[in-house]
Amino acid sequence: MSAITVNNISKRFRLPHHKKNTLFQNAIGLVKRQLTYEEFWALKDISFAVESGETFGIIGRNGSGKSTLLKILARVLYPDSGSFSINGKVASFLELGVGFQAELTAAENIYIYASVLGMSRRETGAVYDQILDFAELKKFEDMKLKNFSSGMYARLAFSTAVNCDPDIMLVDEVLAVGDEAFQKKCALKIDQFRDQGKTIFLVSHSLEQVKELCSRAALLNGGKIISYGNTHKVIDDYRQILL
Amino acid sequence: MNEIWKYRELTWNLTVVDLKNRYQNTALGFLWSLLSPLALALVLYAIFRYLFKQEPNFAAYLLVGLMTWRFFAVGTTSSLYCILGKASLVTKVYIPRQILVLSNVLSNLISSLLEFVVIIPILWAVSGSLPPTLLLFPLVFLIYFWFVYGAGLLLAGLFVYFRDLNQIWEVLINILFFLSPIIYPMAAITEKTMPYYLLNPMTQFIIINRDLMIYGNLPSLYSLALVTATSIAALIIGSFAFNKLQRRFAEEI
Repeated sequence: MSAITVNNISKRFRLPHHKKNTLFQNAIGLVKRQLTYEEFWALKDISFAVESGETFGIIGRNGSGKSTLLKILARVLYPDSGSFSINGKVASFLELGVGFQAELTAAENIYIYASVLGMSRRETGAVYDQILDFAELKKFEDMKLKNFSSGMYARLAFSTAVNCDPDIMLVDEVLAVGDEAFQKKCALKIDQFRDQGKTIFLVSHSLEQVKELCSRAALLNGGKIISYGNTHKVIDDYRQILL
Repeated sequence: MNEIWKYRELTWNLTVVDLKNRYQNTALGFLWSLLSPLALALVLYAIFRYLFKQEPNFAAYLLVGLMTWRFFAVGTTSSLYCILGKASLVTKVYIPRQILVLSNVLSNLISSLLEFVVIIPILWAVSGSLPPTLLLFPLVFLIYFWFVYGAGLLLAGLFVYFRDLNQIWEVLINILFFLSPIIYPMAAITEKTMPYYLLNPMTQFIIINRDLMIYGNLPSLYSLALVTATSIAALIIGSFAFNKLQRRFAEEI
């Protein structure tokens, strides 16, 4: 069964000739007939499927529509046409630690962030110790987040996110947080995810990473998929267009 | 609606975060927040007490009016910033975005109910007695809540696209303040304008609360029906508009 199925998705952005974001400017613009905009198709007629349990990579140059696609699958952006379906519990890693509150303690923030990711209080309680142990922050559980270093902050966020037990992970670049030892732990966790048969959808600039992790990939260029399938073939095609 | 229910724990967490941030985690913080409305009530009382002698128990009249108004004023004004102020929860992760407004209005509701609990002893002191109907005032807030939430949804959604809406709303809310019977007695309204005057839902909410908390009267069926209908209408219009507006939130922020 497919974990992610995407059918003919298109996404259009409006680029106004004169940026207006107040009622006043809009009223003036209406009088001066300046409410015109250009259309920019960030994605055009995209279709593909990601099988359950596979790690699928999306590569492409800057501005090719990779992030737009990821944001649509994460339900942050809406497509203008087309549809997609996702089977399973999704965790999107567009940014770590969304909803973290500086004024609250690490313990409180774990519960808040977990609820942002759709976890109930009971579910979070069951993995609470696991989260702190993995992040190596047991000692700091009652410390306010504003006193955390950026490394500690990232570790807490990553640990909470991966312990939420998603079926499908949407990832923007592989998350490299903390020092080298912690990065190794993260890599191990990702491997463990793959072994457990979870689906990972990865958008990345690093061809090395995609080659190492992904069984299949797609190449985006100008909002269209121009190559799709075996990772090695897709990477070769990418090198072609870079020339 | 189903989606919002699924995220009820997040809604509650955000509500608590809101309250904690507002009161800096202390009970004293809550009392500080009461200082400004109580000071305003005191000043207004000092100024208008001679002007409106025909209103018996003007102090209680003023206090209930102001506190009832406050939930609407603070609730809608803070709703404006719900989406823009929590941008990462909109652009980096999926959650039903209504809950950003819902949790804000909920935290304001809790503040408002606590404020009423604090002013009840004051009402008792200035009136000499308290009517038993006072116990019913939380039920009014149950209806009032959806009115403020509906308005908050509309404002929060529009503010993403029109960034001068906060200034416009400040003006509108000031006008509405004087169109509602808060600092002057109802007797100041002429008979001819009264039917129109009573159409203002804020007027209705304030009258009902005063009836319950000061005069010991139950609200008429007519005003109950009117406020319920207004609240449902606000909820429907707000939800519908918000649903349309939220599709491009992540692009506009």
